[in-house]
Amino acid sequence: MSTDPIDADGQTPLERVPTGIPGLDIVLRGGFLKAGIYIVRGEPGTGKTILGNQFCFNHAAAGHRAIYVTLLAETHDRMMQHMQTMSFFEPARIPDGLYYVNGFRVLEEDGMKGFIDLLRHEIRAHNATLLILDGLIAIAESSESDGDFKKFIHELQAQIAIQGCTALLLTNGRNTYHPEHTMVDGLIELHDVLFGTQAEREVEVRKLRGTDALRGRHSFRITDGGIVVYPRIEALLARPSADDQWPAERCATGVNQLDAMLGGGIPRGTTTLVLGASGAGKTSLGLHFLSRSSAEESGLFFGFYEMPLRLRVKAAHIGIKLDGLIEQGHLEFLWHPPTEDILDALGNRLLEAVRRRRVKRLVIDGLLGFQEIAADRPHRIGRFLTALANELRVLNVTTFYTTETRNLIGALIEGPTIGLSTVAENLILLRYVEIRSQLRRLISVVKMRDSDFDSSLREFRITSNGIELAHTFESAEAILSGFPQLKTEELPADKAARRPRGK
Amino acid sequence: MSTVLVVDDEFGIVDVLETILTDEGYRVLTACNGKQGLVRLSAEKPDVILLDFMMPILGGGEMLLAMAAEPAYQRIPVIMMSSLREDVIAERCKGYAAFLHKPFRVSAVLSAVARVLDRMANDAA
Repeated sequence: MSTDPIDADGQTPLERVPTGIPGLDIVLRGGFLKAGIYIVRGEPGTGKTILGNQFCFNHAAAGHRAIYVTLLAETHDRMMQHMQTMSFFEPARIPDGLYYVNGFRVLEEDGMKGFIDLLRHEIRAHNATLLILDGLIAIAESSESDGDFKKFIHELQAQIAIQGCTALLLTNGRNTYHPEHTMVDGLIELHDVLFGTQAEREVEVRKLRGTDALRGRHSFRITDGGIVVYPRIEALLARPSADDQWPAERCATGVNQLDAMLGGGIPRGTTTLVLGASGAGKTSLGLHFLSRSSAEESGLFFGFYEMPLRLRVKAAHIGIKLDGLIEQGHLEFLWHPPTEDILDALGNRLLEAVRRRRVKRLVIDGLLGFQEIAADRPHRIGRFLTALANELRVLNVTTFYTTETRNLIGALIEGPTIGLSTVAENLILLRYVEIRSQLRRLISVVKMRDSDFDSSLREFRITSNGIELAHTFESAEAILSGFPQLKTEELPADKAARRPRGK
Repeated sequence: MSTVLVVDDEFGIVDVLETILTDEGYRVLTACNGKQGLVRLSAEKPDVILLDFMMPILGGGEMLLAMAAEPAYQRIPVIMMSSLREDVIAERCKGYAAFLHKPFRVSAVLSAVARVLDRMANDAA
């Protein structure tokens, strides 16, 4: 169990009881308060029993003791059969670390007083510091009045406080007022929500006495390892984890001519949006950027569309050598199809990968992937990307986001409608242009944070040596007017192609 | 008619056992924990006890210990029941006659009870 430095009064330290459930302790800011009494409410099937069992097994694994008291029709062996498929279920913890009892008959025969006596006895007999009571609704139903039920909660509070035991009371119920909610130290709700045809589970801390929590709803999954909560990124990172350093250094893009346009490279720790039509070279530019990964500057490619193997082959075809970097652990590829996923699961996975390898060069390939996953909640994407970008900034990560323009060719450029400004401290535009019945590529730096830059349009090619830029801005002209004309300056590849043979 | 005492805190299991054993011609007594089980023993002498391991107030292991200390109860055979593995139970309980792993089938319960009663009858003969 962990201890907070000081409680709200500035006097007594408040001891925490971590649940050990991934993500939930972040939402709870470290866990429940010791000897507190909490209600966990949710419709059948939302995961209450799993949450209770997972908490118990984690508590026992940490060397403490827990008791699980049911008032349900489901038998313990049936419940254990369901739990044993999950990795937290460790039979050796039972019965010394975790003890299951059913209190229904005692409640039925001896009433609430008998049941309170049973709980007191079991907590003492097993020296338990965690009590899970599954089926609070049975007590409510056996109460003759609200007053009786409130008395039960009051007596239970007194018992667990004396014995230093934390209690979770699991119950069904809809979002209506219940008098007991005013008495307990916290109220946690589990929801199963439909977004279109996609179902998503969410947890919400409605009340938490004496401590802060990440407010609002947070997605969670029931996995083979039990419950995993994904704290909402914008709540988790409402304030970035550190101050912005702004080191005023430059970070090479991997394309020397582009670095020259940028005055020596991208400002370190900034976010760059690479905007361009499909196939214009956004991913290739990202791969160039990651080709400069090293032991000091770990790289990460976080993509939604192209799988890692294809990307490695693609890089090799254009002369970008990544295999050695991957083998040495300087570069990692993470691929996530933008199908049935949770926005915050992705955000947390990205941050975990960045922190784990202290990534300094990051390419998020396909900003649209985040938008597709958040399609049912479009209002979130701007705040999500802002929080993510702020955190990456304070971690001194130089980030390239790639995203597609809607139109393949033409003077009109339509980028993503939301979240653009937060990820575009720097903006690089890749465009197609038709010249003499041929599609040619152009690159330009549109914006760079607090820095001067060469704003000219340059033609570029993607060759077996990677991205090559023309030497001067004169290679293309009048593009934005919609009537491009090719000037005399040519790419090195053009010159080579036209050089007379034998010379 | 043989008498079976069923001691289990889970009312669903007690109800099922009471029904199937009664249908089979046994007289059935019930208790919801070890303490209540000992109270039943002080008033009646069952021929066999079906005893759950994890129960409130007084668990199956403790009830077995209390029975061992009382000469009048020492010859009553006990069938331990648990969802835990038998080796876990064997580490903590001594002197039981048979073990039933939960969840169990009706046929397993009936055959365990019949087997234990037969053994007791043979021993007596």
